[in-house]
Amino acid sequence: MTTVSMTVNGKAVSADVEDRTLLVDYIREHLRLTGTHVGCDTSQCGACVVHVDGKAMKACTMLAVTADGADVTTIEGVANGDLHPMQKAFNDNHGLQCGFCTPGMIMSGIDMVNRYKADGKTLDETAIRHELEGNICRCTGYHNIVKSIQQAAGEM
Amino acid sequence: MYHAPTELNDALRTLSEEGGQVVAGGTDVYPSAKQGKMPTHFLDLTRISGLGGISHHQDSIRIGATATWTDVIKSDLPAAFDALKQAAREVGSVQIQNSGTIAGNLCNASPAADGVPPLLALDASVELTSMTRGSRRCPLSEFITGVRQTTLLPDELLTAILVPPPPVEMGSAFEKLGSRRYLVISISMTAAMVSCDDTGKIEQARIAIGACSPVALRMPLLEASLIGQTPKDVTIDPDLFASLTPIDDVRGSTEFRLDVVVEQCARAVKRAANL
Ligand SMILES: Cc1cc2nc3c(=O)[nH]c(=O)nc-3n(C[C@H](O)[C@H](O)[C@H](O)COP(=O)(O)OP(=O)(O)OC[C@H]3O[C@@H](n4cnc5c(N)ncnc54)[C@H](O)[C@@H]3O)c2cc1C
Ligand code: FES
Ligand code: FES
Repeated sequence: MTTVSMTVNGKAVSADVEDRTLLVDYIREHLRLTGTHVGCDTSQCGACVVHVDGKAMKACTMLAVTADGADVTTIEGVANGDLHPMQKAFNDNHGLQCGFCTPGMIMSGIDMVNRYKADGKTLDETAIRHELEGNICRCTGYHNIVKSIQQAAGEM
Repeated sequence: MYHAPTELNDALRTLSEEGGQVVAGGTDVYPSAKQGKMPTHFLDLTRISGLGGISHHQDSIRIGATATWTDVIKSDLPAAFDALKQAAREVGSVQIQNSGTIAGNLCNASPAADGVPPLLALDASVELTSMTRGSRRCPLSEFITGVRQTTLLPDELLTAILVPPPPVEMGSAFEKLGSRRYLVISISMTAAMVSCDDTGKIEQARIAIGACSPVALRMPLLEASLIGQTPKDVTIDPDLFASLTPIDDVRGSTEFRLDVVVEQCARAVKRAANL
C-alpha cells in the first residue's frame, strides 16, 4: 500500500491504495467518480481518457501511484455550472447514442481543441479524425462526434 | 512495491538489489499485465531527473530514456529524423504517444516496433547502465536479438538512445501498412534515408525494414543498388530482400508482405527525396 495524493477536479484527495491499482480504478472505485469508463483491457478504446497535468491520458494505462502529485480532470470536472461547450456540442449534434464512449470522446475532444489553439493550428475534419484514433465508438459511426468537436472548436 | 526514484543511482541500486518490473510509459507493461496478472514490484523511471528529453551534443543527438513519442514529435530535429517523427505520429494514439517512450519501444523488442526501423537507419546505439559496471554502448542492430529479446542485463537500464549527427543533406521517410491506419500491429514498415547529388541521382541511401523478420533489418544490398538511381524512377529489385522472412498469418501472407515491402521502399525513397 502507498499513500497517493492528487488533485481531482480541483479538490485535493488522498488515499492508501494497493500499488498495482490502476488510476481508472482509483477514480471509479475509491473516488466513486464513475463517469470515467472502462471499455477494454487492451488500452485501445479510450473510454477512460482523463487529463493528467493537462495532457490526455488513458487512465487504464497508468497506476494511481504514478499520478501521485498530479492534477487530474475527469468528465465530472469539465462543466462549470453550465455544460462545457464540448458537452453542449455533443448534445446539439447528437454526438452519442449509448453514451459509453462519450466521456472519453469529450475529454479527448477538449484536449485536441486546446492543443490546436495553443499551437495556432486549425482543427479541421481530417485533423479531428486523426486525433480520434485512440477513441473507439461502437454506435455512432463517428460522423456526429466529428461534427460535435468541430462545433465546440469554434466556441471554445 | 512501487519505487519512483528521482535519482538514477537510486533506481540502479533498487534494480540490482530488489529487481522489479521496470516501467516507463507503461503502454506495453500495463495492457499486457491486466487480467489479474499485474506484477507486484514496480520501478517507475519517469521521475528520474535528467533521464528525459532530447538533447544535442557534439558527437550525438541523445534521446533520453523517458522521452516520449510526443517529445520526439515536438522536437526540432534534422530532416533525417522525419522518419522517426512520422512513426511517432502513428504510434497508437495521442494518449499513447503522451506516455509511451522510444526506449520502452526498443526494450519491448516487438518485431513490429515502429521506432526500430527509423533508428536503425539513423545508425543509433543504446546506452546501457548498471550500478556496478557503469555505462556501455551497444549498436541498436546488436541490442535487439530476437522476438522480445535484447542484450539488456537484469541489472541494467537503457539510459539513452544515441544517434550520430546525420548528414544534413539526408531526408527521410517512414511507410507503415496495417489492416487499418491506427491501433493495429504493422504488417510491414519501411524507413528510408536518402540524399541526392546535384544531378538528382541518389548519393547516399539507408533502408531499414520492420515486421518482416524477427528483428527489423537494414538492407545493405538494396542500399547499394539505389546509388546512382533517380528517386522519381527508382526500381526496387525484389531479389535483394532475401534476408527477410515475413510470417504468413491472418494479417497477410508471406508473398503479400514481400510485395508490400517493394512498394513501400519505392514510396519511402521518393518521399525521403522530397518528391
Ligand atoms: C493502444 C496501443 C497502441 C499501440 N500502438 C503501437 C504502434 O502503433 N507501434 C508501436 O511500435 N507500438 C505500439 N504500442 C506499444 C507501445 O505503446 C510502445 O512500444 C511504447 O513505445 C512503449 O513504451 P513505454 O514507455 O510505454 O514502455 P513500457 O510499457 O513502460 O515498457 C516496455 C518494456 O520496456 C522495458 N523498459 C522500458 N523502459 C526501459 C528502460 N529505460 N530500461 C530498461 N527497460 C525498459 C519495460 O520493463 C518493459 O519490459 C501500442 C500500445 C498500445 C497500448
Ligand atoms: S479502458 Fe479502453 S483504453 Fe482505457
Ligand atoms: S455512443 Fe455508444 S459507444 Fe459511442
